[in-house]
Amino acid sequence: MGRVVGIDLGTTYSLIAFMDAQSGAPKTISGPHASSLCPSVVSVDAKGKVIVGDDARDLLLTEPERTIYSVKRLMGRGVADIKDELKIFPFRIDAKSDSVIRVMLGDKSFTAPEISAYILRELKSWAEAYFKETVDRAVITVPAYFNDAQRQATKDAGRLAGLEVLRLVNEPTAAALAYGLHKQKRGHVAVYDFGGGTFDISILKLISTTEGDIYQVLATNGDTHLGGDDIDNALMELARGEIKTKYGVELDHRGEDVQTLRKSLIRAKHELSSAEKTLVEYPLGTKGMYVREITRKEFENLIAPIVERTMRPAKLALADAKLTPKEIEEAVLVGGSTRIPLVRKTVGDFFERVPHSELDPDEVVAMGAAVQADILESGVKTMLLLDVTPLSLGIETMGGVIAKIIPRNSTIPASAQEMFTTGVDNQTAIDVHILQGERELVKDCRSLARFQLKTPPGPAGLARIEVKFLIDANGILQVAAKDLRTDEQHTVEVQPSYGLSDAEIERMLEESIDFAEQDLAERQVIEARTEAESILVATDKALKNTGGNIITADERAEIGKAEKELRATMGGHDYKLMREKIDGLNAATEHLAEILMNGALQTALEGKSLDEF
Amino acid sequence: MTLSQPQTKRAEGVPVSSCWNCKGAVSGTHFCGACGKIQPLPAGMDYFAFFGLPRKLTIEPASFEGQFHMLSWKLHPDNFVRASEFERNLSLARSSELNDAYRTLRDPLTRVEYLLEFLKVRKEGTTKQQAPPELLEEVFELNESLDELRDARAAGGDVALLRGRLDAAAGNFQEKLTEVDAELARLGSEWDAAVDFGSDEAKRAALLTRMSEVLNRRSYIRNLVDGVQKEIADA
Repeated sequence: MGRVVGIDLGTTYSLIAFMDAQSGAPKTISGPHASSLCPSVVSVDAKGKVIVGDDARDLLLTEPERTIYSVKRLMGRGVADIKDELKIFPFRIDAKSDSVIRVMLGDKSFTAPEISAYILRELKSWAEAYFKETVDRAVITVPAYFNDAQRQATKDAGRLAGLEVLRLVNEPTAAALAYGLHKQKRGHVAVYDFGGGTFDISILKLISTTEGDIYQVLATNGDTHLGGDDIDNALMELARGEIKTKYGVELDHRGEDVQTLRKSLIRAKHELSSAEKTLVEYPLGTKGMYVREITRKEFENLIAPIVERTMRPAKLALADAKLTPKEIEEAVLVGGSTRIPLVRKTVGDFFERVPHSELDPDEVVAMGAAVQADILESGVKTMLLLDVTPLSLGIETMGGVIAKIIPRNSTIPASAQEMFTTGVDNQTAIDVHILQGERELVKDCRSLARFQLKTPPGPAGLARIEVKFLIDANGILQVAAKDLRTDEQHTVEVQPSYGLSDAEIERMLEESIDFAEQDLAERQVIEARTEAESILVATDKALKNTGGNIITADERAEIGKAEKELRATMGGHDYKLMREKIDGLNAATEHLAEILMNGALQTALEGKSLDEF
Repeated sequence: MTLSQPQTKRAEGVPVSSCWNCKGAVSGTHFCGACGKIQPLPAGMDYFAFFGLPRKLTIEPASFEGQFHMLSWKLHPDNFVRASEFERNLSLARSSELNDAYRTLRDPLTRVEYLLEFLKVRKEGTTKQQAPPELLEEVFELNESLDELRDARAAGGDVALLRGRLDAAAGNFQEKLTEVDAELARLGSEWDAAVDFGSDEAKRAALLTRMSEVLNRRSYIRNLVDGVQKEIADA
């Protein structure tokens, strides 16, 4: 078995972290750009090659039709759900989408879990390069307010990326965990998690027991479509409006120009977290230059309604936890959007205390996930997370009304049993419709799944089928049915309303294996090339430093020949041949290396440092 | 999205009261005393027994919470990630039962409802939705005011006066709710005493019936208050 990691699969950035055995603390892993933040951007080139992260983000400007960002917004959703988002986000939806949205990247279409799987694979490759070991299991975080379909989609993404998902952990809970370890807090804690695309608020109670610490979530609330993206969109709307009225230029919201503008506006947003004002410049070709100064005051007025939208979930969560703001001992800030001074002030005013932000708000979720991953992997439990289900689970009853069977904020795993029977004589099937949400009517709640209970014909009311609904520790629903007359277990074929069926995932997995082989071969070429380069550099340096008179001319010729042969293979893709030539050069330089080592030892003994050698 | 129920998958010939692993005797406890393995949920185990509590209506919150945390620590699926699928399912069943029991017993109202359902005095989710006789007159007046409010609102007339009247009525019923809760608490104490002193079946049955009646009244008034508050908010 390979390594286990914690992954924060974010709207804007994704991160991967692990538990560092030496320091006993969670650590994030950086990618090739020396940053732990992997932009959640995916691009597919004309040859079908997938590019993820910083490089894909650059392609957003030049290849917008082949590149996608904020795909998390599409997870577990149907076409009808995203009508409003399509006005603002440049998603190109495949007309053939059914219960699962398919997005066009170039001329190929992908589901959101597939695109998310590319991000997960990228992170996995960062970790594998770091450990020089395979990574095959992970704890992945999700917004606390994600519904069943969104959670299932995240789990599917993990599976598609070749990861066994040990657990889905709610983002604010993961953050609390990282904070708790850091500060040894006790009492009631509010975690305010305002990220790129989602907002969560969780109220936790931190308890010390003789066994270890327990993080009990009392209540959670949020909005899975409220985040920094909305702030960017407000800025975009402002700028596009002004450009249209003042310069008569209408920017297509899906074109590449608009991505350049978006990029400068995001930079302006970041600057306004520390500066009082900033300047946005955007060239309009022959029409001149859009130059706009934005003050912090104006920015705050613009985003105040968005920030205000976080307060309703905050109040609801507190009410469900049966607490007042005064009873909250600590407020913790998580997510990039909490860098905005207005957000900090709003949270501070509400909880009547200065909120904590000692840990990097971008990294803290991944770090918490790594802690949980380590606990599940090692089997050594130092603490326990008790999370809740964010939404009530219900079933459709007569007249389109919902009967709630598991209330929101129930500690998970949670279950409920319901008895079903027939309503008319000789009825052979009973339809069951499962929903999630707080409203009373079916039409106002989220349809999760439907299934049919089969029963032999008989008089109405004779059938007695007991259905057990269980929400597991990931917040994902499982269903089992039992015929109480025969005591037989029923098989339940559940059709998810929004999401991939098992068969679809199997097919995608088969396809991805082909991909993985291709990826692996490519990685081996790159690794071999890197190794060849470093050995060539080392050999040249050794030959130069030693003046060349410590080895024989024959030896020197032998080394020269091996070097030449290795160089000849480096432009190609045959990594096996490259490895062979690396071994050849290693053999040729063996004597030289030995002499150098002895010399180094001698020098060291004479009191000189190795660097001087 | 399918779930296997481990308690029905017991090996043949093994009596319910023996451990699935070491065949040692277990009696409704969470773990086998001999080999330490987690046990399937025995059929018919009630929420009180799950927590090791007598079937009484007064529960001391601090020790109840403490017991919940202790059991969570032992039963949570986190402990069984590396265990067999059978044991993982047992943990899932046990820990969900624990959380269901916690949720139900934590709140005094759902606690008494559960006791009555478990003892088959009430059927789950059923309450008689007819007005208790002593409230008939007031309910009649309230419904009249509500009708007038709806009419006035539809006609675009002044609703302030009616609203005041409804506020007063809602307040009045809220008070009745407090009275009902006090009565429920009193009956609860009587029940606990009956359990402690081992009172006869007839006395216990009478108390249970009385509690069920009070719960019906409570549910009726609660719906009334909620309805009025909703109307006021809409107006």
